[in-house]
Amino acid sequence: METQYAIEMLNITKKFPGIIANDNITLQLKQGEIHALLGENGAGKSTLMSVLFGLYQPEEGVIKKNGQVVSIKDPNDATALGIGMVHQHFKLVDVFTVLDNIILGAETTKMGFLQRKEARAKVEELSKRYGLQVNLDAKVEDITVGMQQRVEILKMLYRDNEILIFDEPTAVLTPQEIDELMATMKEFSREGKSILFISHKLNEIMAVADRVSVLRKGKYIGTVETKDTDKQALSNMMVGRPVQLEVTKEPAKPGEEVLKVEHFSVPSHVHKRNAVNDVSLTVHSGEIVCIAGIDGNGQTEFIHGLTGLDKSSGGTVTLCGQDISKASIRQRGLNMSHIPEDRHKHGLVLDFTLEQNMVLQRYQEKQFQNAGFINNKAVRDYADTLIERFDVRSGQGAITTARSMSGGNQQKAIIAREIDRDKSLIVAVQPTRGLDVGAIEYIHSQLVAERDKGKAVLLVSLELDEVMSLSDRILVMYEGEIVGELDPKQTDVQELGLYMAGAKRQGKEAQA
Amino acid sequence: MKKLRESAGFQSVLASVLSILIGLLVGSIVIFIVGCTSKNLSPAVAWDGIRLVFGGLFSTGRDAAGALTWGFNPTNIGNMLFRATPLIMTGLSVAMAYKTGLFNIGAPGQYLIGTLASLMIALGVPSESVPPAIIWLLAFFGGMLAGAIWGAIPGMMKAFLNINEVLACIMTNWIAANLVTWMFDISNFKNVVESTKTGYIYKTTFNNVATPKMGLDKLFPNSQVNGGILIAIVLAIGVYVMMSKTTFGYELKACGSNRHAARYAGIQDKRNIVLSMAIAGALSAAGASLYWLAGNTEFFWSTYQSLPGTGFNGIPVALLAACHPIGVIFTAIFMSMLDIAGLQLTNLTAYNEYITDVIISVIVYLSAFSLVIKMWLSSRKKKTEKTEGGSAK
Repeated sequence: METQYAIEMLNITKKFPGIIANDNITLQLKQGEIHALLGENGAGKSTLMSVLFGLYQPEEGVIKKNGQVVSIKDPNDATALGIGMVHQHFKLVDVFTVLDNIILGAETTKMGFLQRKEARAKVEELSKRYGLQVNLDAKVEDITVGMQQRVEILKMLYRDNEILIFDEPTAVLTPQEIDELMATMKEFSREGKSILFISHKLNEIMAVADRVSVLRKGKYIGTVETKDTDKQALSNMMVGRPVQLEVTKEPAKPGEEVLKVEHFSVPSHVHKRNAVNDVSLTVHSGEIVCIAGIDGNGQTEFIHGLTGLDKSSGGTVTLCGQDISKASIRQRGLNMSHIPEDRHKHGLVLDFTLEQNMVLQRYQEKQFQNAGFINNKAVRDYADTLIERFDVRSGQGAITTARSMSGGNQQKAIIAREIDRDKSLIVAVQPTRGLDVGAIEYIHSQLVAERDKGKAVLLVSLELDEVMSLSDRILVMYEGEIVGELDPKQTDVQELGLYMAGAKRQGKEAQA
Repeated sequence: MKKLRESAGFQSVLASVLSILIGLLVGSIVIFIVGCTSKNLSPAVAWDGIRLVFGGLFSTGRDAAGALTWGFNPTNIGNMLFRATPLIMTGLSVAMAYKTGLFNIGAPGQYLIGTLASLMIALGVPSESVPPAIIWLLAFFGGMLAGAIWGAIPGMMKAFLNINEVLACIMTNWIAANLVTWMFDISNFKNVVESTKTGYIYKTTFNNVATPKMGLDKLFPNSQVNGGILIAIVLAIGVYVMMSKTTFGYELKACGSNRHAARYAGIQDKRNIVLSMAIAGALSAAGASLYWLAGNTEFFWSTYQSLPGTGFNGIPVALLAACHPIGVIFTAIFMSMLDIAGLQLTNLTAYNEYITDVIISVIVYLSAFSLVIKMWLSSRKKKTEKTEGGSAK
């Protein structure tokens, strides 16, 4: 009976100055099961995995493998015990070939010379056995994200790992690729490998996992069998209160046209062709239009061209009846607010205080300055109002440095600022990326509220759940072009996935 | 009191003071070792030397018995303030650029261009027909303008061509050095009247142009001090107000700490980078104007092989002040105090004058260290907080 667990982490406690990251957490992974680890950001999932990998030493608790207490002092010990991990951000060398990446760190050598032939034979055998198709001679920088992930999986298999950890593996995949990954994971578990699956996507957990352990704020909440639970119960466990999983919203009442983009093209920074090619779309007041697509299909460039961060190479943009194709960023900002994709690069000046960030576009407005001198009191009052209204939490309130705030609250600060600017068009790019369920729920409700006030919302999202539940119209972008317009009520994730992968497209005339 | 002790500003000041003390201590050790090992020196002389390094400013010479005497020395203090004047300006130049995310290593070049323009105007405009006060103003602002243009060049390279400002500044420094040599070489301003030394150009007093004393000569008689120090202090306060109170300063700082976010907010990042460098250049050049327009300074015009130390010393002055414009006033005065101490050391002991340069270098070196000390201080602060928190329970 004792050996039914492949790996056990018993009563692990890990403290950092001022915070208990893991408070008496127990995680038991059975031989041959798929075990999901569920928790919000900051719940302690990463810390727990770092403990398992020997990156941190816990203050209390023991780790057992097959019932034997083991000591893991560094990642090499973890590898020796057969523990392998696919990180959320792949750890691959871009300019190496796939084969070299797989054998890196576990090279077979003879007298100091690499034995690529033997390695290649082994990798090919593994790749065939599990249907993990990769091009061994391609450089990592040239292959798709899905293939990169297969490379990471092959890396673990090549090292004969028995315990496989997948950290948020589906974030970068299309629905079809997700299905394939799920099948592969199930195949592994049939062969007796144990899988730890870290995720906050409840659909996937319900589909693939046997059991789920839930963490919340560093504490262990419990472990349940997936067959005995449902999505709502799991999310309540994760957040600690009943959560609205589906966005509740009235049907949209689109009003007049706010944004009209015609034959819009934006050059690429990487190659000579256009990253966005001949895109036309409209957004009306009172509707949420979502641009869906797999990351890197021109969404970022489109938004940069639209907001003025990059120059466009053709086409016109009309906002509130004015042609803004050549307007400056500030002129565009008169009728447009923008929740940027990269909150650290564009959204915030991290070394500024929260209050300074709250007036990033508005510092020169009359109420905040007097003959060029900033009115500190007005800025402080304004920041305090926003902080209270949008519940932005930080260590020292308005004078907190933005850098020291949590990602969720940084995002809330940006949302507060952009929504309060009260512009006709809200451009929101991945507004919930990296945020936990509670924050996502809040941001979604804010966007819907703005829509109901008559704002036009242009949303760019990579999360299919978000696309399906939040938008009133879906435009799918593939390789810089709009390949389809879908009604979320009449389509499903599968169909959306086919458009996103470029397998299906509507004719040009159909989208007009 | 406790609140003051824990404020970030106090930490910076404490870090700077600590690095200065360590620098002086290391300097003293050097003096001691040299004193014990040199043939013409002795431990007793070394003790004199160490005392002079710490208190050179208040040294009044030696008495009949040969012992060092101490007291209020207005000449020393006046000269210290005079030497601090250009340092405050170059320090401000570096500090202000640093606050906007730029490393202005071009201060020496801007200083030289400021020298060129100020002296050319001060000596070239005939004082028979134009009142000297007007010439002074023309020379001062002309120097600043020239420095601003010179500073804007690397700024534009950075903004429009994305060339690192450090590289561009180093290039423009040497262009300035050669340009200045050439311009004076073909000018009529080479000093041919006082032919005791060669290679100098006329003092501005030859054209009756000199910075007014503003009563400071009464306060510190027999010294070179003039109203320039007051102008420098006013400019430092002006830079402080500009950077921390105005929308313009807000824009500059936003560009400096995150160019992308500034752009996103509709701030013209390219224009602001150019402006930052132009202002930094103007500040450096103002230092040159204030120094050479004093009237009692002679400019050695053959600069093509060396860049002025005053320009480079702006970097440690700014770093030691944690790039705070008001702090720059004090660190610049401190650096010139060391200068004075060095002079006293040379005058009153058998020490070679270069040993003071060694000590200054050590302190300059340690000024970069003040960051490390600051980090150490704040980590110590956290530890105390933790233990205090623990005992409170």
